[in-house]
Amino acid sequence: MADFLAAYSIQNWLESCPQGYLVGTVYGHRPEEEEPAALLENEILREEAIRTTVQLVVGERCALAASSGLINAAPDEASKRFLATQTLDEARHVEIFTQRLLDLGVPKKDLESTIQHFANPNLVKFAEVLLEKVDKKDFVAGVVGQNIVLEGMAFSVFEMMHAISEPTNPKFAHMLSGTIADERRHVGFGENRIGSLIKQYPERKPDIEKLQKEMSYWMLATFADAFRNNPARAEFKRIEGELGRAGVHAEWQGVDLLTMEPEEMEHLLADTVLKEFKIRLGRIGIEYQTPARP
Amino acid sequence: MTDPFPQEADPTTSEADTRPRQRFELEDTGFDEVPPRFRKFYRRWRGPGDQLGPNEVICPVCKVVIRSTRELRPGDRVYCMPCMSRLIVVRGEDGRLEARVAY
Repeated sequence: MADFLAAYSIQNWLESCPQGYLVGTVYGHRPEEEEPAALLENEILREEAIRTTVQLVVGERCALAASSGLINAAPDEASKRFLATQTLDEARHVEIFTQRLLDLGVPKKDLESTIQHFANPNLVKFAEVLLEKVDKKDFVAGVVGQNIVLEGMAFSVFEMMHAISEPTNPKFAHMLSGTIADERRHVGFGENRIGSLIKQYPERKPDIEKLQKEMSYWMLATFADAFRNNPARAEFKRIEGELGRAGVHAEWQGVDLLTMEPEEMEHLLADTVLKEFKIRLGRIGIEYQTPARP
Repeated sequence: MTDPFPQEADPTTSEADTRPRQRFELEDTGFDEVPPRFRKFYRRWRGPGDQLGPNEVICPVCKVVIRSTRELRPGDRVYCMPCMSRLIVVRGEDGRLEARVAY
């Protein structure tokens, strides 16, 4: 146990993250990278990019509140230190995605009202379920909700967005790749720390299973809103056609995302995330609960 | 630099293979999520079509490919530095090597 917890050090974090993949970056991307002109000059696409980025800001604000709130609930010093590094990671994510809103042309004075306007109410519910556990200083449920459910979802969402952005928007792809690298540590902490704690507190399993089911429902409802009846659907279709004719592909989970209908993408993402939940929770001895489909 | 990660399987176990292990020269694959001296021991997984070598195993927690200078065998212990998971190499149902998390 001592060796396992020893990895959660500030020194490890410094060498891997700020002195590693973030070296030379500005707000998570290379200094010379900018949002593509084709995005900034297309009002439909620009608004859709703002809407998507707002969801990232909302999710990361939740993660920041949860990871910082869990520090004082952690049962050991190493976990407190890890959560301190995670708090800085999440604060960085909030900052870089907020900066992206400014880069997309949102005036600074309108930031909060824009976030309020575009924030998906289902994602807000998802965050509330988690933060209720954090407010009660429930470390086990808080880490499962934050580092397995929230981070597990973010991991797949960011990977999918990265696959689409890599050939079309290197700046955003670069921001996402640094974020994905951070998420690896966060999901690793969630599984490894809870994997050992759940053996100590098996009576917590039913409560945690209920939390996972509830959070999963709000997550699926968020995905449904994002993919179904999207106002930019026709414009996406036109651009995907152009990219396809230019030989551009965005491969993720063995399929080319640029050839898929929005509903197909929603199912692929939802199925990928839920499958991962099931596997991750199963590994630590928690029975996955199938959520209702919105 | 010697490979700091794999601890070989106990040679007295039934899965023990006494053949000499293949050796591999590792090159930096551009993986930058760990300090430079450890980078050659990891690479990004390229998705379902990605073929793993006999010295490679995928971390089930964070989906990074862990690479060794030696052929991996069931019972070996490896460490995933990007997500800080301790893993044990096992033979999967399909006959391929997999890693299981040791909590």
